[in-house]
Amino acid sequence: MHRIIVANRRGHQVLEWETTDTQEARALIAEAERIIHEARQKGCVVSKKIDGRHVIDTEPFDPNVEEYQIIAPIAGG
Amino acid sequence: MVDLSALWRWLEGHAGACPYDQEPELERPWLKRWNHLPKRTAGPDFSRADYRSARQRAVEVARTTLGDELWAQLRRDGYLELPSRIYPGVSYRLRVGRRIEVRCANGVRPPWIYPYLCINPSYPLPEVEFFAHLYLYVRDREHEIVRVAAPQPWDQALGRTF
Repeated sequence: MHRIIVANRRGHQVLEWETTDTQEARALIAEAERIIHEARQKGCVVSKKIDGRHVIDTEPFDPNVEEYQIIAPIAGG
Repeated sequence: MVDLSALWRWLEGHAGACPYDQEPELERPWLKRWNHLPKRTAGPDFSRADYRSARQRAVEVARTTLGDELWAQLRRDGYLELPSRIYPGVSYRLRVGRRIEVRCANGVRPPWIYPYLCINPSYPLPEVEFFAHLYLYVRDREHEIVRVAAPQPWDQALGRTF
Protein backbone atom coordinates (compact mmCIF):
# COMPACT_ATOMS: atom_id res chain seq x y z
CA MET A 1 0.00 0.00 0.00
CA HIS A 2 1.26 3.48 -0.90
CA ARG A 3 -0.02 6.72 0.57
CA ILE A 4 -0.02 10.49 0.75
CA ILE A 5 -0.16 12.06 4.19
CA VAL A 6 -1.98 15.35 3.92
CA ALA A 7 -0.90 17.35 6.95
CA ASN A 8 -3.77 19.59 7.96
CA ARG A 9 -5.52 20.87 11.06
CA ARG A 10 -6.94 17.38 11.66
CA GLY A 11 -3.40 16.21 12.35
CA HIS A 12 -3.32 14.47 9.03
CA GLN A 13 -5.49 12.65 6.59
CA VAL A 14 -4.37 9.94 4.23
CA LEU A 15 -5.01 8.92 0.65
CA GLU A 16 -3.88 5.35 -0.09
CA TRP A 17 -3.50 3.37 -3.29
CA GLU A 18 -2.28 0.05 -4.61
CA THR A 19 -0.21 -0.29 -7.75
CA THR A 20 -2.26 -3.21 -9.01
CA ASP A 21 -3.69 -2.86 -12.49
CA THR A 22 -7.33 -2.25 -11.65
CA GLN A 23 -9.64 0.59 -12.50
CA GLU A 24 -9.94 1.56 -8.83
CA ALA A 25 -6.17 1.61 -8.36
CA ARG A 26 -5.70 3.72 -11.48
CA ALA A 27 -8.32 6.20 -10.27
CA LEU A 28 -6.67 6.50 -6.85
CA ILE A 29 -3.24 6.98 -8.42
CA ALA A 30 -4.65 9.71 -10.66
CA GLU A 31 -6.23 11.38 -7.63
CA ALA A 32 -2.96 11.18 -5.69
CA GLU A 33 -1.06 12.74 -8.58
CA ARG A 34 -3.66 15.48 -8.91
CA ILE A 35 -3.45 16.33 -5.18
CA ILE A 36 0.34 16.55 -5.25
CA HIS A 37 0.29 18.71 -8.35
CA GLU A 38 -2.37 21.01 -6.90
CA ALA A 39 -0.54 21.37 -3.58
CA ARG A 40 2.73 22.22 -5.32
CA GLN A 41 0.94 24.78 -7.47
CA LYS A 42 -0.29 26.43 -4.28
CA GLY A 43 3.17 26.66 -2.77
CA CYS A 44 3.28 23.51 -0.68
CA VAL A 45 6.36 21.32 -0.53
CA VAL A 46 6.26 17.55 -0.88
CA SER A 47 8.40 15.06 0.98
CA LYS A 48 8.82 11.34 0.46
CA LYS A 49 9.96 8.59 2.76
CA ILE A 50 13.43 7.21 2.12
CA ASP A 51 15.13 4.77 4.47
CA GLY A 52 12.67 5.39 7.26
CA ARG A 53 12.58 9.19 7.21
CA HIS A 54 11.15 11.93 5.05
CA VAL A 55 13.16 14.14 2.71
CA ILE A 56 11.90 17.02 0.62
CA ASP A 57 11.24 15.86 -2.92
CA THR A 58 11.04 17.82 -6.16
CA GLU A 59 10.67 14.91 -8.56
CA PRO A 60 7.47 14.22 -10.50
CA PHE A 61 4.90 12.02 -8.78
CA ASP A 62 5.85 8.34 -8.72
CA PRO A 63 3.09 5.89 -7.73
CA ASN A 64 5.71 3.42 -6.48
CA VAL A 65 6.89 5.73 -3.70
CA GLU A 66 5.95 4.25 -0.35
CA GLU A 67 4.84 7.46 1.32
CA TYR A 68 4.51 11.11 0.36
CA GLN A 69 3.64 13.98 2.63
CA ILE A 70 2.36 17.43 1.79
CA ILE A 71 4.19 20.07 3.76
CA ALA A 72 2.67 23.46 4.52
CA PRO A 73 4.15 26.59 2.94
CA ILE A 74 5.90 28.78 5.53
CA ALA A 75 5.81 32.49 6.24
CA GLY A 76 7.68 34.75 8.60
CA GLY A 77 6.02 36.40 11.59
CA MET B 1 -30.76 7.22 16.07
CA VAL B 2 -28.05 9.22 17.82
CA ASP B 3 -27.02 8.44 21.40
CA LEU B 4 -27.65 11.82 23.08
CA SER B 5 -25.40 11.10 26.07
CA ALA B 6 -22.55 10.25 23.67
CA LEU B 7 -23.24 13.44 21.75
CA TRP B 8 -23.14 15.47 24.97
CA ARG B 9 -19.84 13.85 26.04
CA TRP B 10 -18.39 14.62 22.61
CA LEU B 11 -19.55 18.25 22.77
CA GLU B 12 -17.84 18.59 26.14
CA GLY B 13 -14.69 17.03 24.77
CA HIS B 14 -14.75 13.98 27.03
CA ALA B 15 -15.22 11.33 24.36
CA GLY B 16 -12.95 10.42 21.49
CA ALA B 17 -15.30 10.25 18.56
CA CYS B 18 -18.35 12.11 17.38
CA PRO B 19 -21.45 9.90 17.58
CA TYR B 20 -22.25 10.92 14.01
CA ASP B 21 -18.87 9.47 13.24
CA GLN B 22 -17.65 9.52 9.69
CA GLU B 23 -14.17 10.10 8.40
CA PRO B 24 -14.26 13.77 7.35
CA GLU B 25 -13.69 14.50 3.70
CA LEU B 26 -10.02 15.02 2.83
CA GLU B 27 -9.27 18.64 3.70
CA ARG B 28 -6.87 20.41 1.34
CA PRO B 29 -5.92 23.46 3.42
CA TRP B 30 -3.97 25.12 0.62
CA LEU B 31 -7.30 25.91 -1.06
CA LYS B 32 -8.60 28.05 1.82
CA ARG B 33 -7.72 31.33 3.48
CA TRP B 34 -6.98 31.14 7.19
CA ASN B 35 -5.95 34.68 8.10
CA HIS B 36 -9.24 35.42 9.87
CA LEU B 37 -8.62 32.79 12.57
CA PRO B 38 -7.53 33.87 16.05
CA LYS B 39 -4.02 32.79 17.00
CA ARG B 40 -3.48 29.18 18.00
CA THR B 41 -6.91 28.04 16.87
CA ALA B 42 -8.08 25.73 14.09
CA GLY B 43 -11.47 27.25 13.33
CA PRO B 44 -14.89 27.71 14.89
CA ASP B 45 -16.02 24.29 13.67
CA PHE B 46 -13.38 22.57 15.83
CA SER B 47 -14.51 20.97 19.11
CA ARG B 48 -12.25 20.17 22.04
CA ALA B 49 -12.37 16.54 20.94
CA ASP B 50 -11.21 17.63 17.47
CA TYR B 51 -8.21 19.41 18.98
CA ARG B 52 -7.33 16.41 21.07
CA SER B 53 -7.69 14.02 18.17
CA ALA B 54 -5.67 16.28 15.86
CA ARG B 55 -2.83 16.50 18.37
CA GLN B 56 -2.77 12.73 18.80
CA ARG B 57 -2.69 12.15 15.05
CA ALA B 58 0.03 14.77 14.70
CA VAL B 59 2.33 12.82 17.00
CA GLU B 60 2.04 9.78 14.73
CA VAL B 61 2.88 11.72 11.62
CA ALA B 62 5.69 13.74 13.21
CA ARG B 63 7.30 10.51 14.29
CA THR B 64 7.03 8.95 10.85
CA THR B 65 8.36 12.15 9.26
CA LEU B 66 11.42 12.41 11.47
CA GLY B 67 12.15 8.71 11.85
CA ASP B 68 12.58 6.85 15.12
CA GLU B 69 16.08 8.07 15.92
CA LEU B 70 15.32 11.79 15.68
CA TRP B 71 12.00 11.29 17.42
CA ALA B 72 13.75 9.64 20.36
CA GLN B 73 16.30 12.45 20.42
CA LEU B 74 13.51 15.05 20.51
CA ARG B 75 11.76 13.24 23.33
CA ARG B 76 15.02 13.00 25.28
CA ASP B 77 16.38 16.53 24.76
CA GLY B 78 13.26 18.59 24.08
CA TYR B 79 14.77 20.02 20.92
CA LEU B 80 16.59 19.14 17.70
CA GLU B 81 19.54 21.07 16.43
CA LEU B 82 20.77 21.40 12.86
CA PRO B 83 23.92 23.08 11.58
CA SER B 84 23.52 25.77 8.94
CA ARG B 85 24.84 24.91 5.48
CA ILE B 86 24.83 28.58 4.54
CA TYR B 87 26.42 30.23 7.60
CA PRO B 88 29.47 28.44 9.00
CA GLY B 89 29.45 28.15 12.80
CA VAL B 90 25.70 28.76 13.01
CA SER B 91 23.11 26.21 14.09
CA TYR B 92 19.35 26.20 14.47
CA ARG B 93 17.70 24.86 17.59
CA LEU B 94 14.11 23.75 16.97
CA ARG B 95 11.57 23.23 19.75
CA VAL B 96 7.95 22.20 19.39
CA GLY B 97 5.62 25.19 18.98
CA ARG B 98 8.34 27.80 19.51
CA ARG B 99 10.44 30.12 17.42
CA ILE B 100 13.73 28.80 16.03
CA GLU B 101 16.72 29.75 18.16
CA VAL B 102 19.80 30.76 16.17
CA ARG B 103 22.98 29.72 17.96
CA CYS B 104 26.49 30.80 17.02
CA ALA B 105 29.86 29.29 17.86
CA ASN B 106 32.33 31.49 19.73
CA GLY B 107 33.57 34.34 17.55
CA VAL B 108 30.94 33.82 14.85
CA ARG B 109 28.93 36.86 13.87
CA PRO B 110 25.17 36.14 13.90
CA PRO B 111 23.51 36.36 10.48
CA TRP B 112 20.47 38.10 11.99
CA ILE B 113 20.21 40.99 14.39
CA TYR B 114 17.99 38.94 16.76
CA PRO B 115 18.44 35.34 17.96
CA TYR B 116 14.92 33.98 17.31
CA LEU B 117 13.29 33.33 13.95
CA CYS B 118 9.53 33.42 13.81
CA ILE B 119 8.24 31.10 11.08
CA ASN B 120 4.68 29.83 10.84
CA PRO B 121 2.79 27.49 8.52
CA SER B 122 0.41 29.26 6.18
CA TYR B 123 -2.48 27.22 7.58
CA PRO B 124 -3.23 25.95 11.09
CA LEU B 125 -1.47 22.76 12.14
CA PRO B 126 -0.85 20.91 15.39
CA GLU B 127 2.46 22.20 16.68
CA VAL B 128 4.29 18.87 16.73
CA GLU B 129 3.34 18.25 13.11
CA PHE B 130 4.66 21.64 12.07
CA PHE B 131 7.80 21.00 14.07
CA ALA B 132 8.55 18.04 11.78
CA HIS B 133 7.86 20.19 8.71
CA LEU B 134 10.14 22.92 9.98
CA TYR B 135 12.87 20.38 10.55
CA LEU B 136 12.63 19.30 6.90
CA TYR B 137 12.75 22.91 5.73
CA VAL B 138 15.82 23.70 7.82
CA ARG B 139 17.63 20.54 6.75
CA ASP B 140 16.63 20.41 3.08
CA ARG B 141 15.54 23.98 2.19
CA GLU B 142 17.55 26.34 4.37
CA HIS B 143 17.42 29.09 1.75
CA GLU B 144 13.63 29.17 2.21
CA ILE B 145 14.09 29.60 5.95
CA VAL B 146 16.50 32.48 5.31
CA ARG B 147 14.08 34.03 2.83
CA VAL B 148 10.99 34.08 5.05
CA ALA B 149 12.39 34.29 8.59
CA ALA B 150 11.23 37.15 10.78
CA PRO B 151 14.01 37.72 13.36
CA GLN B 152 12.73 38.50 16.86
CA PRO B 153 14.47 39.47 20.09
CA TRP B 154 12.61 36.99 22.30
CA ASP B 155 11.18 33.50 22.26
CA GLN B 156 7.44 32.98 21.94
CA ALA B 157 4.85 30.37 20.97
CA LEU B 158 4.02 30.28 17.28
CA GLY B 159 0.68 31.80 16.35
CA ARG B 160 -0.49 29.52 13.54
CA THR B 161 -0.02 26.23 15.40
CA PHE B 162 -2.09 24.83 18.26
